[in-house]
Amino acid sequence: MSVEQVPPSLRELLADIFEISPEQVTAELSMEQVDSWDSFRHLQAILALEGEYGVQFDPQRIPELTSVALLLSELKKKGATL
Amino acid sequence: MQSDAERKELRRGIQDAVARLDASGVVNLARRLLATSSKPADVMFCTTAFAAVGDALQEQLGARRLKTFVVRSVTVEPILPSLSVEAVLANYVLDLTVGGYGSYADELLNMNSSLAKSQPDLVLILLDLEDIAGRLPDLCADGIGAEVEKEVEECVARVAQLLKNYRAGSTARILFQGVVAPDTSSLGDVGEANLPHSLPHAVQRLNMGLAALCGTITDCVFFDVDRLAARYGRTQWRDARMFYASRLAVSADMFRKYSCGLVRSFSTLFRAPRKVLCTDLDNTLWGGILGEDGPNGIATESAFPGNCYLAYQQYLKQISSRGILLAIVSKNNEADVREAFHIRAADLALGLDNFVAHKISWNEKADSIRELAKELSLGLDSFVFVDDSPEECEAIRQQLPEVAVVEAPALEPWKLVEILSEQSFFDAASVTGEDVTRVQEYKAQAQRAVLASSASSRDEFLASLGIVCSFQSALQAPLSRAVQLLVKTNQFNLTTRRRSAAEVEQFAAEKGGQAVVVRVRDRFGDAGVVGLALARMHGDSCILDSLLLSCRVIGRGIETALLAHVCENALRAGAKRLVGEFIATSKNAPCEHFYTDHGFTRIISSEEAASDSVLYELELTASVPTYPRWITMEGNESYER
Repeated sequence: MSVEQVPPSLRELLADIFEISPEQVTAELSMEQVDSWDSFRHLQAILALEGEYGVQFDPQRIPELTSVALLLSELKKKGATL
Repeated sequence: MQSDAERKELRRGIQDAVARLDASGVVNLARRLLATSSKPADVMFCTTAFAAVGDALQEQLGARRLKTFVVRSVTVEPILPSLSVEAVLANYVLDLTVGGYGSYADELLNMNSSLAKSQPDLVLILLDLEDIAGRLPDLCADGIGAEVEKEVEECVARVAQLLKNYRAGSTARILFQGVVAPDTSSLGDVGEANLPHSLPHAVQRLNMGLAALCGTITDCVFFDVDRLAARYGRTQWRDARMFYASRLAVSADMFRKYSCGLVRSFSTLFRAPRKVLCTDLDNTLWGGILGEDGPNGIATESAFPGNCYLAYQQYLKQISSRGILLAIVSKNNEADVREAFHIRAADLALGLDNFVAHKISWNEKADSIRELAKELSLGLDSFVFVDDSPEECEAIRQQLPEVAVVEAPALEPWKLVEILSEQSFFDAASVTGEDVTRVQEYKAQAQRAVLASSASSRDEFLASLGIVCSFQSALQAPLSRAVQLLVKTNQFNLTTRRRSAAEVEQFAAEKGGQAVVVRVRDRFGDAGVVGLALARMHGDSCILDSLLLSCRVIGRGIETALLAHVCENALRAGAKRLVGEFIATSKNAPCEHFYTDHGFTRIISSEEAASDSVLYELELTASVPTYPRWITMEGNESYER
């Protein structure tokens, strides 16, 4: 997957939360590759996504969504318009 | 809704300002961005931007950096970006450290805990109902639980132990957060409302107990989070899903409101409230324009819309009862205003005498406020200005940036009190007796200033004040006041010796010794004990050890009266000369020429060069300073031994 496959709004949001540049937000990007992406920042990202796209994640799924691709597919499953 | 283009534009602007290290640019643009967007991503963006200009915020805007430790039992990490942002908007830079979930008690009690070691400026203690009063929900389940009151007391006592223990070992300011009443309990709404020991009732009592406790602890403020939850809606306040899954006690939508509340609460520990509210009259204090509508045409009565203005007047009267000074700044004819206050007295919640001062003229309002600041001896940063005219408001913002400006909504007068209540500038966690009497004191101060500008000569002015001085032994007056003067007086203090109560007593007890205080009042008010002199006999000389006067009364001849009184006593004790000493400090220039002004001559001695002290003497047999003729003496008995 390339940068183009991550919708710009999601890319920018995650870039803000993880304090990285939007170009770094590729679908492959995962928790272990980003220093600032710890469990608290993860929760912050989840809350930001819920607010931005008007969805609610299942608390049990939240810890499993550890990459941009996983977040993206979960958002799509929840019917978010990206 | 702000367009996405505008949002992006603001974000670019912030990035540019960060690159320039332009702190006020960053803050102003961020304020605009956050005014319309509470998106977590934008909050985070601002947090990152503020962090990049942290030092510039301190250097350029005088922001206060606070090493802050969060003692908690709940998840706070996702809230911290909002907290940092709201803090910066209130001119604080927080360096945040968060303690462990389960270790809050240890952190507060253990002298070697990470909290104790970090020596923070501020500690935020954020616990949940579970931790403060975990048994309460069960005890309240039947609504009549006999043990509830005892449990509440015990919970408060447990918190007291934590806070007092921590207080004993640290000087950090403390914010203690209260408990949010759960929105639902097994009793249901009706049971909760009607049963004496329902959970909401118990939580209310618990919060009251905790607030009272915080009031007894130095530098500690109680944060009533329950009130915020009630204001914004309990169902909105907590997201049960996130609370159970992640121990997050506040829903993401409320992060900013919550952070705002925290900042506003702890601010009272670092900042004094503003002291003066200057109000406009037309379409602000009352509806309509006095000059056009006449005194009977202005709106101020119990019918709409006059009742909106009445509510504002009542608000003003209420804040003045806790020491906030009211002043009128209005472009009007003074005679018309006096007439309006007279004719409509029954319809107005306050009269002209509720205002410590008024500037009713056609002068620029910025000049009027400057004059007020001078007359009341207060800094412009103590002022709040309320006016319905956008032009007047803008003029003050530009010319007097220190003044807080509130634009009264002329078309929606019912909103003014709400708008004022949202502002933190009058927030105070405590009110003292001094606050309550302050209004009278400043009123007197302002009246004296007005008189000074109208009297043609200084003597005439001083005579018109009707000053009465009375002298007492420091032992007769409250000794604590004498010691307070010794500690606090810097400007008119000849030697700045910080004598203790015991030393003052010694001066009074010695043969020929003096410990004299002067009490002053005039036709505008009683200033109380404002001056002190200490002297002792040495051979046939009376040595003046200390002479000082509160800066509030300098320049009215009271210092001369005090000196004359000391001379009288010295003569009576058999002294032939009075020897005075001056020790220069960075602050006491106002009394530098005191001795020479009163006929003393400088003693040149060889030892003098080595010390900062300069000695003067006055031959009492030749001449003695006399009491200024504009001062009336009272109770002028002798008390030397």
